[in-house]
Amino acid sequence: MVRRLLYLNGIAILFVIFFHAVGWGFTAMFPWTPRYLPVSAPVYDQVGSLSYYYLRLVEQIVVVAIPAFLFVSGYFMAFSAGRRDNVTWKQVWGRVKMLLFPYIFWTLLMWAAKLAQGDIFPLTGYAVMFFTGRTTPAYYYVPLLIQYYLLSPFIIPFARNRWVSLLIITGIIQFSLQLSQMLVLLNGMQGVPDFVRWLAVVPKWFFLARLFWFVLGMVVGFHIKEFKQFLARFKWVFLVTAVVCIPLGVLEWEAIIRFSGQDWLEHRETILDSIYSLAFIFAFFAFTNVALPLNKQVSDLGVKSFGIYLAHIPAMEFTARGIYLLIPALLGVQLLFQPIMVVFGLGIPLLMMAVVNRSPARRYYSYIFG
Amino acid sequence: MDREAILLDYVKNELLRGRANNITAEDDLLGAGLIDSLGILQIVAFIDERFNIQVPDEDVVYENFNSVKALSDYLAQ
Repeated sequence: MVRRLLYLNGIAILFVIFFHAVGWGFTAMFPWTPRYLPVSAPVYDQVGSLSYYYLRLVEQIVVVAIPAFLFVSGYFMAFSAGRRDNVTWKQVWGRVKMLLFPYIFWTLLMWAAKLAQGDIFPLTGYAVMFFTGRTTPAYYYVPLLIQYYLLSPFIIPFARNRWVSLLIITGIIQFSLQLSQMLVLLNGMQGVPDFVRWLAVVPKWFFLARLFWFVLGMVVGFHIKEFKQFLARFKWVFLVTAVVCIPLGVLEWEAIIRFSGQDWLEHRETILDSIYSLAFIFAFFAFTNVALPLNKQVSDLGVKSFGIYLAHIPAMEFTARGIYLLIPALLGVQLLFQPIMVVFGLGIPLLMMAVVNRSPARRYYSYIFG
Repeated sequence: MDREAILLDYVKNELLRGRANNITAEDDLLGAGLIDSLGILQIVAFIDERFNIQVPDEDVVYENFNSVKALSDYLAQ
């Protein structure tokens, strides 16, 4: 099972790339329509098209990416504690340091790119961007993970000894947040009680938002024997649940859009998505006798996942903006636009990593890519 | 080259990419933050490929992997 963690990390980073390719796909499909259609303002008449449902289906399948990353990270905090009572603060700092340096590097790079475009922010703006990861829509993951590492010494005793209560509590927190967000989507901010409004606006960089996944990985790490027995008993249940949740998730989001009265809504993780993610992760580890396709290649991506995660954002943004400027007709052909985004989103970071790894800067590799 | 030397060489060149050439087999790699969780998984895969030893999940614990010497001692058991 442990070796499969690397593969899961590889799948997760591939899914992240697909997820952001879909994000750019929707940008091309809606706000950028005037660039390739004879319209003066964005139109939403591609909602319901084959391309639209293709993007939604992919988005639905890959929603497990961040839960999978957090699960693997939680598992290894349990590993770091070993048979001792807890991890040491030195270990925690070692982890944080490995995230922090590459995060600073790429954040500064993105700020430089914004500056080159004339975007200047007040000092507080930079501070907020740094501590919340808002420099790009994806960098929130780094401050989030750092919070989990810093909280680990406090969580570990519970994950080891009172793991059922811990999973129930963190599960209820996640359920409440997602339920509140759905209620706000359906009824608007004014149509829900105050406490629901507060829960709904908990940002995704804040530790409560996805604590369950990290804790789950940690609990599994401490109780691996029991976990394996549990998986063996219900493996078909997990597989069927994961498969069934995919079309249900697509339908659910369409229903939410209908009830909200909007033309289109950017997808947010729902309770059903969490059930899917849980079933996906469990099914993935339950069928250990099934050979994994492209094991070495996917595991290799898993090793490089943090570097790819940080570097794929500018790579995809420059690719999308390049297409917008130079070949706008491509924006309307998702069949071509999507593969281009995925190839560049993955290829450019891998190329950069290979170049640094073969250059005199090799010794600084981990400070750039983790 | 004995197993300990092979492992040390792998850690220095592949995992650390030459950024800590002076580490020894006794150094605490995890405690010092020199390698991370993914590094551990790479070592597990390397042991499988190089020595044809499959480390059971239950043995992938900090105590067996915190230094090259600890790992080498564990593999010798």
